[in-house]
Amino acid sequence: VSTPASSPHNRSRSHAEASPRGGLEGAAFEALFRGCAADIHGYVLSLLGDRSSAEDVTALAFERLYRSRSRLNHARGTPRAWLFAIARNAALDELRRRRRHPQRAVDADTSDHTVSDDALEHAERRETVRAALATLPPRERELVLLKFHGQLSNGELARVLGVSESNASTRVHRALTRLRENCSDPGRSEMP
Amino acid sequence: MRIIPFPARGEARREDPMMEELEAALRGESRTAQSEAWVALRSDVRALAPPMAPDFERSLRSRIDQWTAGSPPSTSPRPVHSAPESARRRRQPSRRLRAAAAAAGVCAVAAGAVIAAENTGTPRGGPVAAPAVVRAGTPATPTPKATNTPDTGAAGTAGEAAQPATSPASAPATPGRVQELAASITLAPAPADVQATADRVARLAVSDGGFVQSSQVQQQREGTSEATLQLSLPSARLSAALASLGQIAPVRAQSQSLQDITSAYDGARRTLADAVAERAALLRALAGASTQGQIESLRRQLSLAAGAIARARSALAAVSGRATTATVEVTVQGDARSGAEGLTLHRGLHDAGHVLTVAAVVLLVALAVLVPLALLAGALLLGARGWRRYARERALARP
Repeated sequence: VSTPASSPHNRSRSHAEASPRGGLEGAAFEALFRGCAADIHGYVLSLLGDRSSAEDVTALAFERLYRSRSRLNHARGTPRAWLFAIARNAALDELRRRRRHPQRAVDADTSDHTVSDDALEHAERRETVRAALATLPPRERELVLLKFHGQLSNGELARVLGVSESNASTRVHRALTRLRENCSDPGRSEMP
Repeated sequence: MRIIPFPARGEARREDPMMEELEAALRGESRTAQSEAWVALRSDVRALAPPMAPDFERSLRSRIDQWTAGSPPSTSPRPVHSAPESARRRRQPSRRLRAAAAAAGVCAVAAGAVIAAENTGTPRGGPVAAPAVVRAGTPATPTPKATNTPDTGAAGTAGEAAQPATSPASAPATPGRVQELAASITLAPAPADVQATADRVARLAVSDGGFVQSSQVQQQREGTSEATLQLSLPSARLSAALASLGQIAPVRAQSQSLQDITSAYDGARRTLADAVAERAALLRALAGASTQGQIESLRRQLSLAAGAIARARSALAAVSGRATTATVEVTVQGDARSGAEGLTLHRGLHDAGHVLTVAAVVLLVALAVLVPLALLAGALLLGARGWRRYARERALARP
């Protein structure tokens, strides 16, 4: 499990400042890869439920970001938000392809990872969260995944979704409230 | 009166406290129990996704190392359905290149249209070119004739008549035909050079073996100066003479005409031959006359025959003259736009203004074409982008 970065926004800004013309060159791009690859992969894998497709989309997102690095405008968002927007579009395109080719088998392998090292209590918590996420509408589920995997602020989230910041904030609030309600059972009083 | 409170812009909404608490917790700036719960939830959600496979991570890392080392992306790993991104991009020229090519094409078409319109239009304010000179009405189409075999006897008698020339190089020459040629040319020297140009035209006519039939020169202090000369030149020298005239001054208009006079020529020759034969018969009869009355009668007939021969020879010479000489009408019109005045500040400013005007017209035409196309392309682009976004969101809405 990837460790959530304490301040991904500050890290993305430092990447941009280290590169000339505000773009992503050399070490800045490598640093962005190190900081975001696991998060991108986790977000895409959670969205698609298919490791093979998730790897394709992850690689494609980095390739597209590298190709468009000269057009990166920091006034419109951090490189991390840009990367997540690219990954989200590529993942949704993959979902559209699946709709056009429904015969393609999808191996949902998000549940095949081992949790043997986790304590039983943690395992139960995560199973509850998994079930609660599964009951969310797809849009809200995707929003929760984007919020937690991308660790994006509401402003960055709004740019990724193409909506206003207040709209994004409202949607996040609604999704998390519903997730909290789905998770709240007598045995999970510690949930927010 | 009861005042109903209405939330103004920027006023805190109901979900703001929760969102602020969430943001603070995710940034690690809050240590409350609720914040710890948010952080734990985030960890649980993130832990649901298994980590990257080590092989894939190594492969992607090496790929990115290659990119950052200067080798551009070549292929995507394991493409699912569509072609790899890089392969698709290689097949398509860049958007900037396509847009630049389209703009250049439209500008080229606009420039071509403007230049064509300027070249094909009637000269504005300039004199109109003189009409073509056509002798004896409209130019006649050569009458088909199988052979041209003049009488042998008459040919010997009428040998003094010059052989007619053939048509000039620019006219369709027909072997064995007798043709009358004519031409007209309009020269456009500077207004001050009209007289000198007319003199040079006259000298050229003499040097080419011809002469000036008539000339008229009209010079004005202000306005258009003009000279008209009618030249008679050997038909065989017509093409060379026209080329020489074109070197004297800029040619504004030129035309040539051709008329077939073979039948008239043959008729004149036959008339002469008949008259000569009649005279020979009268002479033979006179030699055999025995009475004074017969002799007097034959001498009167011989006198009439001599007159007929003279008229026939004159007619034949006239027809031959039409064929051997070409009439050229030269019009010399002073043109203020002619380059003979040399480079002056006024002309330079005038030319610069003309160039700027043409450039502005080209730009205007290009904009008239490009702006609607750009608007249409923008609308299509926005529509396509909106449709793509809608399709993506719809794919997400599918459970």
